[in-house]
Amino acid sequence: MADIKSLKARKFINVLSHRQAKFEVAQAKFPTFSDNASVLAKALHPKRQYLKIESILERGEDCKSYTLVPDEEKGTTALAYFGAGKYLTVFETIEGMPVTRAYSISSSPKDSLEGKYVLTIKLVGGGLMSRYIFDTWEIGSKVEVSAPAGNFEYQPLRDAKKVICLAGGSGITPFVSMANAIADGDEDFEMTLLYGSRNSDCILFKDELAELEKKCDKIKVIHVLSEEKGRAKKGTEKGFITAELIKKYAPENEVYSVFICGPQQMYDFVDKELEKLNLEKKYIRHEMFGEFHNPATQADYPSEVPETVKITVTIQDNTYTVEGKTSDSVMQTLEKNGIAVPARCRSGECGFCHSHLLSGKIYVPKHLEYRRLADYKFGCIHPCCSFPLTDLELSVPTAK
Amino acid sequence: MKTYDVIVIGAGNGGLAAAATCAKEGLSTLLLERHNIPGGSASSFVRGRFEFEPSLHELCGVGAPDKSGQVEGMFDRLGGDVDWYTHESTFRLVVPAKEGDDGAFVNEDGVLVTVDARMPVGFESFAQKLDELVPGSYESCMAAFDLSTRLFKALNSLENPSQLPGSLKDIPDIMRMVSHTMSEALDALGMPKKAQDIFNTYWCYLGSPASKLDFLYYMAMLHSYVEYGTGVPRYRSHEMSLALDKVIRRHGGDIWYNSEVTKIIMKDGKPAGVVINGEKEVYGKYIISNAYPYAVFKDLIDEKDTPKKQLKMLKSRKTACTLTTVYLGMNKTKEELGIKDYSIFIAPDSDSDKQYDVAQNYKSGYCIINCLNEIIPDCTPEGTSQLFLTTMTFGDVMKDIRPQDYKKFKTEIARDMIETCEKALNISIMPYIEEIEIALPPTFARYLNTPLGTPYGYMLEKWDSMLPRTVQYLSDQPFDNFFFCGATQERGDGYGCAYYTGEKAGNLVVNAIKKEGK
Repeated sequence: MADIKSLKARKFINVLSHRQAKFEVAQAKFPTFSDNASVLAKALHPKRQYLKIESILERGEDCKSYTLVPDEEKGTTALAYFGAGKYLTVFETIEGMPVTRAYSISSSPKDSLEGKYVLTIKLVGGGLMSRYIFDTWEIGSKVEVSAPAGNFEYQPLRDAKKVICLAGGSGITPFVSMANAIADGDEDFEMTLLYGSRNSDCILFKDELAELEKKCDKIKVIHVLSEEKGRAKKGTEKGFITAELIKKYAPENEVYSVFICGPQQMYDFVDKELEKLNLEKKYIRHEMFGEFHNPATQADYPSEVPETVKITVTIQDNTYTVEGKTSDSVMQTLEKNGIAVPARCRSGECGFCHSHLLSGKIYVPKHLEYRRLADYKFGCIHPCCSFPLTDLELSVPTAK
Repeated sequence: MKTYDVIVIGAGNGGLAAAATCAKEGLSTLLLERHNIPGGSASSFVRGRFEFEPSLHELCGVGAPDKSGQVEGMFDRLGGDVDWYTHESTFRLVVPAKEGDDGAFVNEDGVLVTVDARMPVGFESFAQKLDELVPGSYESCMAAFDLSTRLFKALNSLENPSQLPGSLKDIPDIMRMVSHTMSEALDALGMPKKAQDIFNTYWCYLGSPASKLDFLYYMAMLHSYVEYGTGVPRYRSHEMSLALDKVIRRHGGDIWYNSEVTKIIMKDGKPAGVVINGEKEVYGKYIISNAYPYAVFKDLIDEKDTPKKQLKMLKSRKTACTLTTVYLGMNKTKEELGIKDYSIFIAPDSDSDKQYDVAQNYKSGYCIINCLNEIIPDCTPEGTSQLFLTTMTFGDVMKDIRPQDYKKFKTEIARDMIETCEKALNISIMPYIEEIEIALPPTFARYLNTPLGTPYGYMLEKWDSMLPRTVQYLSDQPFDNFFFCGATQERGDGYGCAYYTGEKAGNLVVNAIKKEGK
C-alpha cells in the first residue's frame, strides 16, 4: 500500500525559499488589473452626490418637481444609476440644524444616464423640510443627496408578472419612475395603477401618466377620486381604493402583486381592505412609512412617561448632553440640537442610524421594528424610530 | 491630542479580534470602521420578516458542548457572549449525471446522479461512509485523519512545550503534509480518485482546488468539521461581531463607526497615525490593519513610503475567488420544500480541479445551498424558511457590465443558481420566494473594499500556502509597528482564520508594548 513516507519532508524548506524567490523576482510596481466589480460598486453607491437644480416645474399650488443635475464643480460628474422605486436622501442644514429627508425619485432610471434626477416634493402641513425646500430651492441651488437607496422595487423572481399599484397623493412618485422604466424596456411587468386623489384637479402627473398609458400597453391608469363631484368619467372611479375595486381591476385566475405607496392613513385603510383578498404575503409590498410622530397615540405606549428627558450622546471623541421631548424621536432631538447623526430612510428600515444604547429605555412603534435579533441582545437601536422613555446614554456613529 | 497604544483599521473579523485582544490586555485601543456596523462579512440584514446571514456557511471551530473548538475558545478567552448552535453533519455532495456518465444512478430525490454523498460526523463514521460509496477507501481515509490528529497534537504541544519531546517524531510526517498538495498526499495514501473527490468537497471554503491546496491546511479544516460537526451563532454572525464590539467597549476601547481611514500618517518612515474621513487626525504607537495590503498601499500610504517588498508581494500574488450569493426568504417550510440537509454542494463535476475550471465564469452549475432552519428551526417565522445559495467565480467576472445592465444581470445569475438547485434536488423554489436579495462581487466590493470584491484575500497556492505564510509572517509585515490581519494573512479566508490572525496580531502588539514598558 502507498504510504505518506513516499513524500519528501525536505520539500518544505524549498517551499520557504521558493516563496521568497517568487517575491524577489517580481516587479516593485503597484499591480494594475481589470476590476469592474469595484468600479460598479463606486458608480452605483457613491457616498454622496453633489447636485444642482436645473429646472423647477410647479404642479399646482403645493407640489413641485425639481430637476437635479451633477454639480461638476463639487466633484460629481455622473449620477448613480438606480432601479425604479428607489429614493434619495436629501441633506440640508436649516437654521443650524442638520436635517435629512428621503424622497422617491420620480424620473426614470434612463434619465439618470443622461444626468437627470427628478424629485417631486409636496408641501406637507408643518413639514420642516418641504417648507424649507419650497422657500429656498431655486434654479442653480446646490443640493447634496445620498446614493439611490431602498427596497421598493420590482423583482421578477419574486413578484407576479402583473402588478396592481396603489398610490395615494404624492405616493405616486415611485410609480411614475416604474411606469417610465416599463415604457423604456428597463422593467418588464404589467402595471395597473389605481391612483387615489381627492379630485381631478389634485391629480399629480396627470398628463404624463396619460401619455405613458398611450405609449405602452403594459401600463393602465385608473384615477380613484374621493371627493369628485358629478358622475365618474371614463377611466376614473369614485370613492376609495377598496378590496372590491382592486378585485375589479385585478386579473382573474392569475396571481398578481400589489405595491402600495402613500400616506400613513392610506396604509391603514388599504391594509384592512387587502386582508379581505387573502393574498399571500409575498405579493404585497409597501414603500416605507416615512417619519413617525406622536408615539403616545400607539396602543402599547407606556403610561407615566415624562415630557422631557436628557440624552447624552457620544460621537467619536465628543460627548454632548441635550434635553429632548419624549414625543420626538432620538434622532429628531439630536438634530434639533444641531447634532448631525447618520440618517437615510428615517423609517426604521434601512438601519443606517444603527447605534448603541448604553443606558435608559426607549419605545419603538411595532410596525417600525426592523432591528436585527442580535441588536436586542446587545442593546442596539435605530434612533430614527426610537422614542425616549427615560434619560438616555448613547453611542452614535458619526454622520456620513 | 491623545495617542493610542494601538489603532486598528477595519472592524472585520480580524480587526475585531485584534482590538478585543488589545483592549482586554489594557492597551488604549481605537477601532475604526468605514461601515456603520461591525463585522464586514460577519453581519446580517433584514428584509420583510426575515433576517439573513450574509456570509457564514458554518464554523468548524465551535466544538461540542463538552469541548470547545478554536473559535468558541477565542470567544471564551475574550469574554464574548454568543449563543452557539451546533449540528451533527458535515456536507452532502450531489453531482447530477451528464449524458453518457458511467455508473449514474437515481438517488433518493429521484435525480439521476453520479455522486450523492451525505457525509456524517466522526472519523470512523466518515471513513465507513466513504468506503461504502467508494469501496477500498476506508484505510486511506483513516490514515489521513490519523495524520491530522497528530498534527493537532503537535500544534497543541507547541503551546505546551513540556509535551514537545513526545511529539517530535511526528514532525517529519507533518512536514510532508505541509509541502504537498491534497492530490499528492491522497495519492500517496492510496485513496481512490472517486473517494478523493468526495473527500475534497470543502475545497471551495479555501478557494483553491486539490492540485493547489496544501494537504495540512485542508486536513486541519476537514478534521475540525468531521470531529465536531457544524456550528453557527444563534442570531446570525451579527451576534458574533456585536459580542466582540461589546468586549472592546467593556475594556475601555473605543470603536468609531462611519469612520474611514483615508490616510496613514507617516513619521520618520514609520506609520504614526491615521486621518479619518479626510479630516480628523488620530495618533497611535502601533497599527493593525484588517484592510487589505492592496487597499493600504493603493490609497493610504504614498508609494515613496511603501517598502519595495510590499509592491513585489502585491505584484506576485493572485486575488482569490469572488462569491455570489442569493438570499431567499421562503413562504414554505424546509419540509414543504423537500430540503433535508443543512449544506448541499451541487457540482457539475466531482473533481475539484474541474469545478475550479468551470467556476472561472458564471453559470457553471456549481452551487452550494444552505438552509439555516436545519440548524436553527425557528430562525424564521412559522411556516417559512430561509435559503442561502452560493457560487464562486475567479477574476473580473463583472467585466463589460455597465451600471444599467447590472440589475438584469444580477437577476439572470440568481435565476440560473436557483434553477441549478431546483434541478439537482428535484425541488421547487421559484414560486415560494417571499424575499430575495442578490449579492454579486460589486456588493462585496462595496462593503469590504477589497480588489474584485473578494472576501478571500490572496489565492492559497502551493508556494504561498498557510505554513510558509505563518513562518514568514513577521518578515512579510511592512513596518515594525504595523501588522496586517484578516483573510490576506497566514490562513487565508474563513471566520476562524481571520479571528486567529487578529488575535495573533493583537498579542504581538500587547507583547511589544509590555516589553517597552520594562
